[in-house]
Amino acid sequence: MNSATEETGDRRQNKATARILAVLSVFASDAAGYGVTELSNQLGMTKNMVYRALTTLVDQGYLVRDPTGQRYQLGFRVLELQNENTSEPDFRELCSPYVDKVFQLTGESVSLMVRAGDYAVFIDGVETRRPGTYRTQIGALRPLYANASGRVMLAFSSDEEIDEYILRNSPMTLPASDRELAPGALWTQLHEIRQLGYARMLRPGALPMLAIAFPIWDMDRRLHGVLSTGGPNERLAVEIDHLMPKLLATIDELCHRTQLYAADTQQWEML
Amino acid sequence: MQARSARAVINSSASHVFDVLRFICTWPVPLGVTEISRQLKLPASTVYRALITLEEADYIRRYRNTPRFELAPTPHLLNRALFSRFELHHASRPLMRSLAQATGETVSLWARLGWFALRIGGAFGSRDVYHRARLGETRLLHEGAAASVILAELSEADLASYRRFVDKHFPERRPDAGWDAQAQDLRLVRTRGFATIPLPMAPGFDAVAIPIRNESGHPVASIMLDGPVLRSGEAELDPCALQARDDLEVMIALDPAAFLSPFAHIPADGLLIRTPSTSDTETGGSG
Repeated sequence: MNSATEETGDRRQNKATARILAVLSVFASDAAGYGVTELSNQLGMTKNMVYRALTTLVDQGYLVRDPTGQRYQLGFRVLELQNENTSEPDFRELCSPYVDKVFQLTGESVSLMVRAGDYAVFIDGVETRRPGTYRTQIGALRPLYANASGRVMLAFSSDEEIDEYILRNSPMTLPASDRELAPGALWTQLHEIRQLGYARMLRPGALPMLAIAFPIWDMDRRLHGVLSTGGPNERLAVEIDHLMPKLLATIDELCHRTQLYAADTQQWEML
Repeated sequence: MQARSARAVINSSASHVFDVLRFICTWPVPLGVTEISRQLKLPASTVYRALITLEEADYIRRYRNTPRFELAPTPHLLNRALFSRFELHHASRPLMRSLAQATGETVSLWARLGWFALRIGGAFGSRDVYHRARLGETRLLHEGAAASVILAELSEADLASYRRFVDKHFPERRPDAGWDAQAQDLRLVRTRGFATIPLPMAPGFDAVAIPIRNESGHPVASIMLDGPVLRSGEAELDPCALQARDDLEVMIALDPAAFLSPFAHIPADGLLIRTPSTSDTETGGSG
């Protein structure tokens, strides 16, 4: 065999192995199991490729067929893929690849925020190089009423908690405008967010800005944090409607992962 | 024929990749190509390709920008996904939290998985000092109190099968004192209804494990109180722990099908898991 053929053979093997790992990665979610067609659609691979990968993974013990023999589930040998000296990924680490994915989809700044009392705090993000952008400063605090991410955090709190929050924080002065946000206006937005399942917020001004903020859930359907993207309305409004299905699918995929964990606020639970 | 040999090659490539991944899982520090190649007796080029494939698929990552590698989030997520398939993992959470709060101790829930016990739930105690227990730890049924309290509840026929399984697959992990001494310990555990294990860091105190049985009386899990909870030789357990056991057993009896292990359809001898033996506070023996 000459070196060119060897290289082609290696490349083919590597691609096949990469496909096997990609198929196994799909099972890193809270879904009960998968069939060949479902995996083929999700991964964009032919059914034949998926079937071959599944066969190898069953041979290796990382997957098992369910009792019906029709679907595949995680196998017990996955338990061998642990190292007691490596810590579990935290919320920021779980979200990090999805912050990048959302940035690739929209081309606009992306931020990841968590709640800290009456504030939302930036814990990760990417800033676009395009002109006109939201700032993403790791560690910076924003009042919950002041931006789309904070409002998502409020929207998925109980009505009593929201009333208490408004009492504690009134008057709610909006940054950069000195305008006051009336409690009624905030409530209207929070109801909209609850109905839509995410926030879509237009900030008026000389440069109107559009922000979309998605709740990221934990295993008890409590909020881990909020992932948002946004930019000048003139630029983003044109694209956002056709981007929404892809954005929602990306967030859904992320939540299938974050829902494997309890939010960090439950510190007494083994994580 | 050609197609079959191509498939065999692909499988062997995947097999090397998984060998490398499993090896990284067993090692206490991040590893580079040379070390893995020497330990696994594989060519450096094969190891290098395997590492790149694993890194690109997010199974491993570079440790602090060095040429050494450690596990990335994906294997952790796969394990999490596996735990979520155990109904006990979800259903026991409020009980484990209440028990940890009531006793102040770190508590764990271990599920039976064939001839192994798997830690699938737990809550940290409210004290400042606690045991950094982790989910996913797997032990043979004679290793440590949490596992051996399950073993003690098995029938004589099952015990004989278990010993054959360990003799065949894990001869190096047989009990130091031999199976006969082990059988005596198990009888004591069965009579008392719980297992204890001395705590080296709290002389005179023991950690305690209690079995959880299903509606047919078969052991399916155990609760472990990792703390110093019992003066050595004491025979009375904390009523909160017994209440947690009763609550779990009622929950399981009400919906036995839901609480079946996800691998209940695979015979115990078919569930072969090669994790390193434990290095936790509990180091074997059933007390």
